Amino acid sequence: MSAATREAPLAPRAGKGTGHALELRALSKRYGAFTAVDAVSLRVERGQFLTLLGPSGSGKTTILMAIAGFVAPSEGAVLLDGRDITALPPERRAFGMVFQGYALFPHMTVAENVAFPLRVRRLSRAEREAKVRAALDLVQLDRFADRRPAQLSGGQQQRVALARALVFDPDLLLLDEPLSALDKKLRAELQEELKALHRRVGRTFVNVTHDQEEALSLSDQVAILNHGRLVQMGAPAALYERPRTRFVADFLGTSNFLRGTVQEAGDPGLALQAGGTRLLQAGADLPPGSPVLLSLRPEKIALLGEAERAANEVAGTIAAWAYLGAGYSLTVRTADLGALRVALPAWRAPIAPSEGLPVRLGWAADAAVPVLEDADAA
Amino acid sequence: MNGGHPAGPLARFLAWGTVFYLLLPITIVIPVSLTDQRYLSLPQEGLSLQHYARLLGSEAWLSAIGQSLWIALGATAVSVVAGTLCAIGCWRIGRRSSELVRVLMLLPLIIPSIVYAIGLYRWFGWLDLLDRLLGVTLAHGVTGIPYVVITVSTALAAFDPRLEQAARGMGASLGQTLRWVILPRIMPGILSGAIFAFIHSWDELVMVLFIASRQVVTLPRKIWDGINENLDPTMAAVAVLLILFTVLLLALDGAVRSRAGR
Repeated sequence: MSAATREAPLAPRAGKGTGHALELRALSKRYGAFTAVDAVSLRVERGQFLTLLGPSGSGKTTILMAIAGFVAPSEGAVLLDGRDITALPPERRAFGMVFQGYALFPHMTVAENVAFPLRVRRLSRAEREAKVRAALDLVQLDRFADRRPAQLSGGQQQRVALARALVFDPDLLLLDEPLSALDKKLRAELQEELKALHRRVGRTFVNVTHDQEEALSLSDQVAILNHGRLVQMGAPAALYERPRTRFVADFLGTSNFLRGTVQEAGDPGLALQAGGTRLLQAGADLPPGSPVLLSLRPEKIALLGEAERAANEVAGTIAAWAYLGAGYSLTVRTADLGALRVALPAWRAPIAPSEGLPVRLGWAADAAVPVLEDADAA
Repeated sequence: MNGGHPAGPLARFLAWGTVFYLLLPITIVIPVSLTDQRYLSLPQEGLSLQHYARLLGSEAWLSAIGQSLWIALGATAVSVVAGTLCAIGCWRIGRRSSELVRVLMLLPLIIPSIVYAIGLYRWFGWLDLLDRLLGVTLAHGVTGIPYVVITVSTALAAFDPRLEQAARGMGASLGQTLRWVILPRIMPGILSGAIFAFIHSWDELVMVLFIASRQVVTLPRKIWDGINENLDPTMAAVAVLLILFTVLLLALDGAVRSRAGR
């Protein structure tokens, strides 16, 4: 820890670039024949909020544990500000960590829990008390200092865990599915708090989750993992709008997949043949004859009125529908493209959905994105 | 358990029968200790506390109680330290080899104590520990380890390993983690093991018969000698005090457990 960070515990650090940069170089972890993490390389800039997102068994928690020092990588390196820390034991790294289920010490009060990392560092009582108060203030729990963790609600325990992880001014804050134990409403609330907290303390955060909404709303950068491999990393909007593979498109939000063959490559884009339907796709350059897989988001498909035209049009009938409050989710059966999911705003919807209703669907040439089949899709 | 069917008459009869069968031999010593006769018998004409008075006035009995107490305390200390460290070590390693260590630690419980005592006799002869307080304390301490290993391992099984990770992640050394996180959480298990180790030493006779003779005379040994030599009702008084003491310790253990369960 540098002298500068010691002077200003938990003081607001304006803007980005005040935290520490983290880099993973070809990190692998094998348990016998099973490869939990397979040559993952990534970089988090100072003060950024990175989320490792993936289904269970994708290796995201193993990566977090390797960053914390609890798991020794089989190969590769962990670097903090360019310094190799792969061999450091967890107590020498001392990154703040919020565990799944919080791991608060049940035999200590809230204040004693938050003071624990300071006690370990042999700070004087006065210093300890001041920092604990500041940390509990930060998460608005100053009134609960003398309670035991068991006397607090899930959301409050979560905030105690955050205060404890931040009180000693760690270089990194690691979060292992911090919100997964909370109900939906509370989760949304704490997401916002977490985001605000990240802005206020300006530290580098690394979060692990399988909740794509959480990943999209919290993060500066999202790394999508599957089968221990890094599939794609980028800003949330970039990942959502330009998924590289079928897995990313499917895991982040929902997507329709259209399979076709390139007929002509030219202006304004590719002409594809998908069954008996001719599709127009912008922004891709492939020679005629090559197979193409398109990802098309349900909200980018429109219901066309009598006289309306679109670059791509297809007719079908509603096979199933559900009312979701904000919108309708329709499943439309088409002759050539199979079943398509369509999201329709409910307010002033152009039709009243019913099963068997014939509809015309349309989307722009730049609505869909060509994606790759995942190498291990089988 | 609520809401189930009540037990049938046969089950009740069997249950109470078993309880009486277990308790009767113990309770018989209570009237015997209050006998007004000069030999081991049930009271004939009235109750008397004379044997309790004799016990408290007897140098030999009091010395036996004192020696037993010191041996039991020393043995408990040995068992608690070794047993707790062993249980924590096995828990931290968490591999199959540690399972083997745990089974090995239970050996004194499994091997007939007379076999163990013969072995001890040989070893203590060479080590010059026969008929010495230290020897008996060590023997009782080592054979008390299984009780501590069992209770501490049980407490550790309920211990969330993420608490240890959390402590170390915040920079705590192994010693600090042990002192501030692990030990406070498993303290009820340690206390419980300590009580059992104490009781084990307090009423152990077989090993003492082998490794002690004149200098060291524990309470069970004194009772044993008393039964062989004369039928003094003072022994019944001693037995009653022993029972009360053990019941007290078990009640203490119950209190520790119920506090831990909170």
